This record gives sequence, C-alpha cells and structure tokens, in this order.
Amino acid sequence: MSDEGGAERGIEPQRRLTVIGLGNVLMGDDALGPTVIGALDAQYEFPPEVAVLDLGTPGLDLTPYLLGFDAAVIVDTVSAPGAPGTIVLYRRDEILKTPPQPRLSPHDPGLKEALLTVAFAGDGPREVLLVGVVPGKVTTGIGLTAAVRAAVPDAVEEVVRELDRLGAPAYSRSPQSPPDLWWERP
Amino acid sequence: MSTRITVDPITRIEGHLRIDVEVNGGKVTNSWSSGQMFRGIETILQGRDPRDAWIFTQRLCGVCTTVHAIASVRAVENALGIEIPINAQYIRNVIVSAHALHDHMVHFYHLSALDWVDVTSALKADPAKASALGESLSPWPHNSKREMEAVKEKLASFVAGGQLGIFTNGYWGHPAMKLPPEVNLLAVAHYLQALEYQFKANKVVAILGSKTPNIQNLAVGGVANAINLNNQATLNMEKLFMMKDLLEEVAAFVQQVYLPDVAAIGAMYPEWLGYGGGVTNYLSVPDLPLDTKGTQFDLPGGTIVDGNLATLKQITSFQDAYFKDNVTESIAHAWYDGEWDKHPWEEETVPHYTEFDGEKKYSWVKAPRFEGRPMQVGPLAQVLVGYATGHPIIKKYADQVLSTASAIAKVKLGPNVLHSTLGRHAARAVRAATLSELALKHLQLLTENIGKGDVAIFTPWTYPAGEQRGFGFHEAPRGALSHWVVIRDGKIVNYQAVVPSTWNAGPRDEKGQKGPYEASLVGNPIADTAKPLEVLRTVHSFDPCLACAIHTLDVEGNELSKIRTLT
Repeated sequence: MSDEGGAERGIEPQRRLTVIGLGNVLMGDDALGPTVIGALDAQYEFPPEVAVLDLGTPGLDLTPYLLGFDAAVIVDTVSAPGAPGTIVLYRRDEILKTPPQPRLSPHDPGLKEALLTVAFAGDGPREVLLVGVVPGKVTTGIGLTAAVRAAVPDAVEEVVRELDRLGAPAYSRSPQSPPDLWWERP
Repeated sequence: MSTRITVDPITRIEGHLRIDVEVNGGKVTNSWSSGQMFRGIETILQGRDPRDAWIFTQRLCGVCTTVHAIASVRAVENALGIEIPINAQYIRNVIVSAHALHDHMVHFYHLSALDWVDVTSALKADPAKASALGESLSPWPHNSKREMEAVKEKLASFVAGGQLGIFTNGYWGHPAMKLPPEVNLLAVAHYLQALEYQFKANKVVAILGSKTPNIQNLAVGGVANAINLNNQATLNMEKLFMMKDLLEEVAAFVQQVYLPDVAAIGAMYPEWLGYGGGVTNYLSVPDLPLDTKGTQFDLPGGTIVDGNLATLKQITSFQDAYFKDNVTESIAHAWYDGEWDKHPWEEETVPHYTEFDGEKKYSWVKAPRFEGRPMQVGPLAQVLVGYATGHPIIKKYADQVLSTASAIAKVKLGPNVLHSTLGRHAARAVRAATLSELALKHLQLLTENIGKGDVAIFTPWTYPAGEQRGFGFHEAPRGALSHWVVIRDGKIVNYQAVVPSTWNAGPRDEKGQKGPYEASLVGNPIADTAKPLEVLRTVHSFDPCLACAIHTLDVEGNELSKIRTLT
C-alpha cells in the first residue's frame, strides 16, 4: 500500500478523496445518499485515489471515514427551504459556521462533529462539499418519492463536477449497468 | 414549587429522545423518558426471505449496524435449527469484539467525556504535572511532557481559531465541573489518541466484514469469508497477523489508558458513584460462543434482581428457555393501539399517536419487562453477572478499576458503587478491557483451528415446511439485544427487535414501574436548571442510541439540541 509521509493514513491509505452517501435506506427519502452512491457506481469508473462509500447513518462514527482524506463530497438529505427534490450545496465553512442548531438532517450532529473532530486531530479533509437534497417523506418504508428520485441524476452530476474540480475526474462506464439498489427489491 | 426541565433530544448520535424531569429543591423528583420517533421494522420485513433479514436489520441503526446483523442471523438459525461451523463462530466473535471495542472507546472519549471534562480548563494545565499524573497511573508510553505540551498547543490554536464548536455540548465552566486542569489536559490528549485506536478496532471489523459500517460477510448458516492461507483474496495468514497486531495495539490502549482514565474520573467525582443507580435489576445475555451449538460462552449472561448478586440466574445457551419465556413488552404508556403486555412473537405494531401525557401515553418506545420487572441492560449488567459468576477476566479488571479509584479517592470503594452513573462508565471500561483480551483469544482460536486444516465456514440447509419460531441474542455494546422471528413456508410473518435502548429508555409499564433512565434520574442534583448537565451525565452513562429504540413520526424542524426549561 502506498503511504504518504510514512504515517498510516485513513481507512484506505491509497485514496485521498472520498465520496460518502449518508442516509437510512429503510426511511423513505432518507435513502437519497445511498441511492446516489448506487447510481455513481453503476454509471462511472473512478480513479484509484477516490473512495466511494455508502455509510448509512453513522452519526459520529463518520469520523474514521474522514481521517486522512484531503477532500470529501457528502451526499445527504437536508432540511432546507425549497420543495422536495431541491438541491442545496454547502461548503465546509458553511457546514461548520451554521448556528448550533443547523437546519440539516437528523444525522447532522455526526457530520458537523466528525468534521470538527478530525480537524482537531489535524487530519481531516480541507475541502468539503455537501450535496444536499430536500426530502419529501422521511418515514418507515422503502423507496424515494417521485420528486426526490428525479433529483438523483442532478445530485450525481454535482458529485462528478466536484471530482473534476478536484482533479480526479470520473469516467462514464460503457456499457452501463443498472444500479444495485438491493433495498428496493421486493 | 417545582421546576420542570425538558431535554429534547439528549442523544448526540442518531435518534431522538426526550427527557422530562421535575426538579424540587435542587433535586430531580420525577422523570419521563420518551422516544419521539416511530419506526416499525416488522412492516418492512414481513413477507421477505429470512436469509435477507440481517441485511435489512443492519440498516435499522447506523451506529449499531453489526449488532443487528449478528442478532438476526442467530434468530433465523435458531428458528431453523442450524448449527454453524466453529470457524464461523470465531469469525463472528472477533467481529463483535472489535466492534464493541470501537464503540466503547468512542462512547467514553468522544460522546461522554465532555460531561466530565472541561476542555477549556486544560488550557491552564501544567504539562509536566499532567504527564507525571499520567505516568503514575499506567505504563502507557504516550503520556510524556512533550506530548502534553503538543496537545495543549493544539488546543490553544483550535480555541484561538474559534473552532470550539466540537465541544458545544461541553458546558465548560459549569459549577458541576470539578477536574483539575492537569486531569482535563490528560483527558484531551487521550481523546485525540482514542481516535486512532477506535480506528484500529474498526479496521479489524473491515478486514473480516469486507466493508464497514455495514458488514457483508454474514450468511444464515455461517459466514462468507473463504479461507485459504495462500490466497491474497481470501482470509489468509497475512490478514490474521494484521488483525493480531491491530488488536494488540487496541488492547494496550484500553488497558493502559481507558481503564485508568475512568478510574481517575470516578475517584474525582465520588458523589456520582452514589447518584444514578435507578433500576438495579440487571439482564445480560451470554456471548462469544465457544462451540457450534452455542452452549459454552466466554462472556456470561444472566439476571440479577434488586442489586443482590446472590439472586443470579444464569442464561446458558442460544436455546435458553429462561430467556425465551420471560421477555414481554408493555404498551401501557406507549403510542400503540391497546393496552397489552405481550411476548415478542405475539406482538403486533399498530401505531396510535396521542399527545404527550406523562400520566397516560408518552413514548414510541415500548416497555420491555423480564418476568414482569424492568431490567437495566448494558456493560454494567454484564460486569455484575460476571462478578456474581466469578468470571476471572471481568473480576480482575473490575477489582483493578475499583482499587485504582480507591487509591486516588483515598477511600475503599467496593463493587456496590457500580450501581451508579459513573459505575456504568467504569463497567463499560471493564467490559472493554475484558473484550480486549477475548478478541485476541478468539482470533488465536480461529488461527489454530485453521492451522488444523479446518476451513469450513458454512452449514448448508433447506427450509422446512410449516411454521418456525426463533430468537437470537447478542450482548451488544449497549446491552442485551434480541431478535424474534416467526417464519412460515420460508417467509417472515413476524419480526421484532427488542433492543438495549428499549430496555433502558422505555417508559413506565402497566404497573407504573419506571424504566431505567427514568428511575436513574430521580435524586440527581441539578445545580443550574438552565443547564441540566447532571441529567445529561446520567442519561449519557447508558450510552443512548435511540434510532434503533424508537420509532420517526416526523423530526419536524430538527430541533437537535433543545433544552427547554418550563416553570
């Protein structure tokens, strides 16, 4: 395994960028993050320095998945003004500078505190983009509402654009396979 | 006149818990614990193939992933009478041990320590004194003066950068914060080091589970970890050695840092070894099976009533009738239709929300009972059961934590102080130390068994016709977890998860008996009703994780850390 600077870095030391989908696949629109990760995996190939992960709803256990990365793109539902399906982008400073009770998703305590924790440890991503989608229905049950499902391609596009900007472009797969959204299978 | 304080929510990780306390004369006189979210996993699992249940249940809660996967495969195996190969037991045992080590460290250092440690006070510490204190407590090599100076500098620059947000739940400067600056500095240093060691524990889970936080390697009937010592892609010697190294490093941290830290903090807040006892009936389930049938275990299970260790009744196998027959859930004070008290196999989940009424219904969490009694679950339950059965490793570390704390506090502290808020933290550290040895033991057992040429990982099976009922338990980081399944013709017809936070955070039952959170808060002091730090201390000591205990009506407005004081 490659090893920059001799120190043991992160969960996958050869990677410097991470794309993380957050959300609970059993809670309606909260499955947005994992759904976007499934779509990314099905449609794109990523350079070896990029990790693409569906982490569910780890809360503060997000911390180890941020350690050692230079940049992170996080996809999650957010509670923000706008109709269901609206995409809202937040940069690192905006995530951290929001008032103590930010209007983000229920797992936000994890995201915000995990970012600060790794910053305190001196080894967290300096570049962070949160690709947020306003959910319609977050209750027990499987499947996205139509408005949120319609936002999936745009959320995928935001992730791909950010990887381009970070100098780690993803390439379209050919041929493409349908995404493996196992939780949606009857 | 009494003051009523509502803390809503209290958990810093997933979930939504509301605690109401009534304060009279600076003390809590009554309390209510309410889960504010409705979930209903059974509605998602009904009609599915039981082989897939673990994949779904591990998504119940994003923090307790692995534990729901394990309990689920055990429940289905129990229903179908499947015995799994010994390699599969060992592999599962290493996973659950490493997961629990990770979880216990995170809980203490990253979720609860701030209830006791005043971070800003660490800025006033003398690094040489902090180092001397650390070195007096243990042989840990990373307590040097230089390391303490570096941490103090890091903290100072973090504070100067205005980034103290991480510690916003910390209540620094609160009158109930009593540690000297040097202890606070030592704790901050260990907070940072704990990040590294929880990560190492998590890596072991990732090696065997192939992914974390949601592992991929389980199967009803065993595991999916192909074993071939000479193949890069399978479980091989290199991976076995890598895990041994990681677990040895974790063991050193737990034994030399976590355990003495908890003892020191306990000794410096001796009054908190008196508060927070509450329900002193305890339930733990045995775990880390040593045979294919699940009749011998490395972690003890059983019940204790009224804090009296002589009442111990052991739970001894995966088929144990004493456990199977005595679990019920009451909805007398929970938002479900009706008034029943039922065995998990017989339950139905029909939500019926009414407003919060402490006299009637006030929670989405059901009230589990064992032989009709509320039970406290968690590391304290397991440590007390271990103490009562004379479990040598548990006893060794329990005595060690008590003697270290006694030496610092200069009073003799016996096992009776464990029935308390800080006792729960001490027991968690004792359990972590115990697991740090047992994780290595089970990895060794696995390595030796593979060395004998046994590479079996899966027992083939087929669905019998008709109906089967099964239960599977697991002593999870937060305590006794059980899954209950009813299968008919290869499909799930009922599924219930009775989770640790349900046992602890549940409401009153039909007899009006309080749940463990509720009972433990009564008698706690409250220095400042606007900042009820003491309530947080006691509730956090249980390690609440409510997403799994409860159930989302709607997290309307996401008021994530509201503390309301109603007079």
